Amino acid sequence: MAHAYTPGLKVTDSITLRKSRLLPVKGEVVVELKTQVKPDDVVARTFLPGNVYPLNAANILNIEAEDVPGSMLKKETEYIKKNEVIAETKGLFGLFKSKLTATIDGTIESISGVTGQVLQRANPMPIEVQAYIQGQVVDIIEGQGVVVETCGAFVQGIFGIGGETFGRLQMGVRSPSEMLGPDQIYDRHRGAILVGGSLVTEQALNKAIATGVRGIVVGGFDDKDLRAFLGHDLGVAITGSEQIGLTLVVTEGFGRIEMAQRTFELLKSCAGLQVSINGATQIRAGVIRPEVIIPKDKMPSSSNKAAGEIERGLSIGTPIRMIRQPYFGRLGKVVALPTNPAVLESGTRARVLEVEFTDGQRALIPRANVELIEG
Amino acid sequence: MLTAFVPRSQARPDAAMLVRIRPPVSPRAFDTPSDAGGCITVRWQLSPDDQPGGKLVEGYGIYRAEEPAGPSAALRVNSFKPIDVVPAGTTEYKDSSTDDAKTYRYRLVALSEFENSEPAETPVAQSSLQLFNLNRLNLLVISIIISGTVIFYIQYLKSGRQTFIRKIAGLEAVDEAIGRATEMGRPILFIPGIQDMNDIQTVAGMIILGRIAKTIAEYDTPIEVPTSRALVMTTAREIVKEAYLAAGRPDAYSDDMIYYLTDEQFGYVAGVNGIMVRKKPAACFYMGAFFAESLILAETGNDIGAIQIAGTAMPAQLPFFIAACDYTLIGEELFAASAYLSGEPKQLGSLKGQDMGKIIAMACILFGVFLATLTSVTGSSAILEVLEWFRSFFSVSA
Amino acid sequence: MDPEKIKVILATDCGSTTTKAILIEKIGNEYRQTYRGEAPTTVEAPFEDVTMGVAGAVQELAELSGRKLIDEQGRIIKPCQNGQGCDIYISTSSAGGGLQMMVAGVVRKMTAQSAERAALGAGAIVMDVLASNDKRLPYEQIQRIRHLRPDMILLSGGIDGGTITHVAEMGELIAAADPKPRLGMGYRLPVIFAGNINARAEIERCLQDKTDLSIVDNLRPVLEEENLNPAREKIHDLFLEHVMAQAPGYKKLINWVDAPIMPTPSAVGSILKTIADQKAIEAIGVDIGGATTDVFSVLKGVFNRTVSANLGMSYSISNVVAEAGLGNIMRWLCFEMDESDLRNRIKNKMIRPTTIPQTLKELILEQAVAREALRLAFRQHKSFATTLAGVQQQRTIGDTFEQISSGAGLVNMLALDLIIGSGGILSHAPRAEQTAMMIIDAFLPEGVTLLAKDSIFMMPHLGVLAQVHTKAATEVFEKDCMVYLGTCICPVGQSKQGRPVCRYTLELPAGNTVEETLNFGEMRLIRLGLGEKAKLAAEPTRNFDLGQGKGRRIEQEIIGGTVGVILDGRGRPLNLADDKKRRIEKLREWMLALSVYDQKALEEKGLVGAKAPAGAR
Repeated sequence: MAHAYTPGLKVTDSITLRKSRLLPVKGEVVVELKTQVKPDDVVARTFLPGNVYPLNAANILNIEAEDVPGSMLKKETEYIKKNEVIAETKGLFGLFKSKLTATIDGTIESISGVTGQVLQRANPMPIEVQAYIQGQVVDIIEGQGVVVETCGAFVQGIFGIGGETFGRLQMGVRSPSEMLGPDQIYDRHRGAILVGGSLVTEQALNKAIATGVRGIVVGGFDDKDLRAFLGHDLGVAITGSEQIGLTLVVTEGFGRIEMAQRTFELLKSCAGLQVSINGATQIRAGVIRPEVIIPKDKMPSSSNKAAGEIERGLSIGTPIRMIRQPYFGRLGKVVALPTNPAVLESGTRARVLEVEFTDGQRALIPRANVELIEG
Repeated sequence: MLTAFVPRSQARPDAAMLVRIRPPVSPRAFDTPSDAGGCITVRWQLSPDDQPGGKLVEGYGIYRAEEPAGPSAALRVNSFKPIDVVPAGTTEYKDSSTDDAKTYRYRLVALSEFENSEPAETPVAQSSLQLFNLNRLNLLVISIIISGTVIFYIQYLKSGRQTFIRKIAGLEAVDEAIGRATEMGRPILFIPGIQDMNDIQTVAGMIILGRIAKTIAEYDTPIEVPTSRALVMTTAREIVKEAYLAAGRPDAYSDDMIYYLTDEQFGYVAGVNGIMVRKKPAACFYMGAFFAESLILAETGNDIGAIQIAGTAMPAQLPFFIAACDYTLIGEELFAASAYLSGEPKQLGSLKGQDMGKIIAMACILFGVFLATLTSVTGSSAILEVLEWFRSFFSVSA
Repeated sequence: MDPEKIKVILATDCGSTTTKAILIEKIGNEYRQTYRGEAPTTVEAPFEDVTMGVAGAVQELAELSGRKLIDEQGRIIKPCQNGQGCDIYISTSSAGGGLQMMVAGVVRKMTAQSAERAALGAGAIVMDVLASNDKRLPYEQIQRIRHLRPDMILLSGGIDGGTITHVAEMGELIAAADPKPRLGMGYRLPVIFAGNINARAEIERCLQDKTDLSIVDNLRPVLEEENLNPAREKIHDLFLEHVMAQAPGYKKLINWVDAPIMPTPSAVGSILKTIADQKAIEAIGVDIGGATTDVFSVLKGVFNRTVSANLGMSYSISNVVAEAGLGNIMRWLCFEMDESDLRNRIKNKMIRPTTIPQTLKELILEQAVAREALRLAFRQHKSFATTLAGVQQQRTIGDTFEQISSGAGLVNMLALDLIIGSGGILSHAPRAEQTAMMIIDAFLPEGVTLLAKDSIFMMPHLGVLAQVHTKAATEVFEKDCMVYLGTCICPVGQSKQGRPVCRYTLELPAGNTVEETLNFGEMRLIRLGLGEKAKLAAEPTRNFDLGQGKGRRIEQEIIGGTVGVILDGRGRPLNLADDKKRRIEKLREWMLALSVYDQKALEEKGLVGAKAPAGAR
């Protein structure tokens, strides 16, 4: 490819974010334009059609399938109650009638004279969408949801588990290289979003859940612990729907990796604020990364940039981070961009760049193995 | 016998005139080993006058007295009661009328035509119950070996290891046959044979029916089970109902699927053939005991284009089934089917263990035949001895 | 157009990330692929017009070849005039995730499987297979349909004159789910019914109003026979009409091309089938990507394709580990590695899928994962490529103890002639030996098998070309697409380490003859260059089979390649030593024998001890 696409994770202290809060099916929006919403405010609600439960009427009534429609007491779309008689055979002179009773509360979906099946549909299930972030409703998509806008700091993680949650940001460690162990989690962290350093262990996670911590933001996480925690090996990186008691956002990767200094400092400066986090990750076409959103009331307007605006290529002096062994996690800046591909130690030919690490050491790295530090 | 017993010394006062015969030597009485109590064995050596050709001793009289007896020897004499007479040449007597709570003393008297010998008296003995019957030790060894292999294989399989079980194509094909019927929109026919529930083959057939019914419930395909015995019908109904329940479709079950035709062999065959020709089932199962009807059924089934799976332990009917059916469970496969179908370590392990037992038995038979042949060819007494020991190992005495 | 007059062919493949263009020209009397170009695919914002990506790729091609292919209006110049433009233009597409389908049938192993075969053969990704006996309750099946949102549903079931109730039930389920297509809110979901003709009225009744229903011939008119073509053709038509038409810019592209646009996998299948039929061989092709692995096969004249949706080398790498188990990955590593380190490395690749291995250790690790991904994909393929199930058997008394059932597997490794590997990790491995070794370890070929790789993944282009110009397609396939790696000779059987497996003589084109004995647990490499041929005579020992039976001698001509002739004496099935030290020792021995990795680099990195290579020539 002509341009090695080098995505970077966003870490910024001031950004204007817009979040679409949409229903999975059409419904009703319950807030008005320009409303200020809190994370747990309901913005839209709807009813999801219930599940379908079939009844083999022909067999239960002991009649031919084609006689089923004629025996029905309730017609399609009519409401039914559990244990209510919905069909009855003619019987012999009104005697020996067999009856068919509904097994759920709901409606009759369909009656078939071929299969002898009666489909019952359960009552619809209500679904509500919350605002998730603190901010202002700036747009209403009729029947589907709203767009909430907020200004503040924004940190993208690389991987997460657990869904949307919110709480007060608290520091669990003093430095980005420190590990978050179970003995650093106290009762005062109940309901909080806790910031860890380089690693959080499974024991610490369990302690956090027991304590009532809502979320943890940390640099690294061991895959071994992930498996123990989820109870299975994570195969495909599509997460966010786990019901595990808290939301975890990993900012750097797997293994013990120091949280980037910038990220750590940013989170530290926001300690005590109300934040929203989401662990949902999807690494496929249409990437979704986990996020930490820290709404701020006041924002220096000069630095206010819309999301998705910053798109820079690699050039000399660009600050970058290595995202693969052998220099995994190290920071540096580009000092040379040779145009011709080079042969790597592995024997692979690839386009490379020369990097100078923060300690002054230099190395050749494949362009695919670095990411821009965006901000 | 006791009624015919008359002490001859009293009957013949002139006996002193003759040379007295000598009593049996060193009599012993002891508890009969390996029994449930209530029996004492008396053993002695023959009287020196009891020799082949001697003809002096005609038998031995056995007397018994309970201990402790009276205060004096004289009284004791009288306390001995005759219990039996055994013919000459006998050296052992088993008195199985003793009481375990009492002790006994025995007297033995050699009898001739004219007189009795001096009595020879045994020490006291008491019968008792033994926990082990050592005479059947061989059975214990054999059962330990066979149960051992069964337990070994169960444990082996439980630990998650695999074992080779020969594929029974007929059972593998059950799903396929039912699938075929489903796609073709035709029913499935199951014939449980013409024997009643007391026949083990019918029972095996019922187990297979359970498994077939479960699949049928999942596929939602109609099944027809005409039976020739009332009891088979009720059993089949229970089994099929349970299978539908297990498959989570109790609503799809109906009692009409399983019905009784007639007890008459050929009346039943005619009825089943009629069903086949009218309803054209796409899959036919014949699992149980079959007689002359086997070929009539299987040929009709073949004619209507059904996949047919048969299973029987009737050797005479197997060739017919093999030729006319798609798959056939031969003899023991029918009985092994339940273990095979369940796939449980317990059942598979016992199947495997029993197979090992059969292999051991076959090996022993071959070895015995080999020894016997060798003995008669060479005439060697050493080999004969081994053969005798080997034979005795497998023989069971009381 | 007269095929004889076609001189210049332009072909593109619109993948989900890149659009690749190739130029095929008639040079003298034969067709050769001459230039290639590529550009990012443009289906997403801000471009939203696939033809821009096509134009980009073709423009690059034009610059490289010096031939003007695109006019000022941005259209492809046709036909060829004054050294400008091309005679025909063809294209495939897998953009937007390809064609995603759900199929439904009555019995999972019968009509549902036939439906799956039809859909896979048409190049679709089968998201799920619904059947009356799939052990799911109806409401679960309904939820599944709703949740997956396929592009299209293929409904089959019942032979002609067979079951109606089951088919109607499936129809009712689909109607109850009231599915909405994945792309484009405005149109109704296409549903193809290819089942029992007697059930058509029922299906029309329940699906006519809710979906865009089309009815084609039954794909299983009787159980003994499959008739997949009508269904496949309908899928292609609907793919163009509905799915492609929804994707941005495709309407324009459809007007440009001279042959219908095919889904990429369908095109790959088409070329493989053409080649296998022409040469009367059995062939397997594999394409390992970042997210999925496709396996194609033509065995006994029957084409089969499977897609392992979650076996891949980047997005799905972690799933390979989860499915294969860590132990199975570790067994291919010729050095010791900490388990949690390995786990973390794999997960880091998953969350950063675009990175490439820089160190040798990382490369070996990725190639170990590739072996397992290929092995699992092939295992899935083997269980899918079967004869038809549900066929009545004819027996004689001689079958008493050998009752063979229908639905048996088609894959017979001894009869297999050719394995073609493609996809990044195979095509772009630094050394051809690595590609060969990965294919051998994953597929475990038996007997004599030719190995090849697709140089630049040209198979899709050639697949479409085969539809309009078979000669050009096969010529280019032979000469430019396939890069032969060499021939692999693997006797089947087991023995003790070091015992003789096979005596062989090889008459090399240089005139010299190699006469040696291969021992058990040993691998050897004899160089035989690209385009060279040698005469092989091999006599396996009595426990080993090379295709003619145990101990039977074989004689045949074998083809060389970038690797050469590989003799694999490790036995089949392959058993690696349980003991870690011994296994690593063996792996190193094989790797050195085949010079899979650079010996010096391995030593420098401390990945192997310095040891004289054995068996390498």
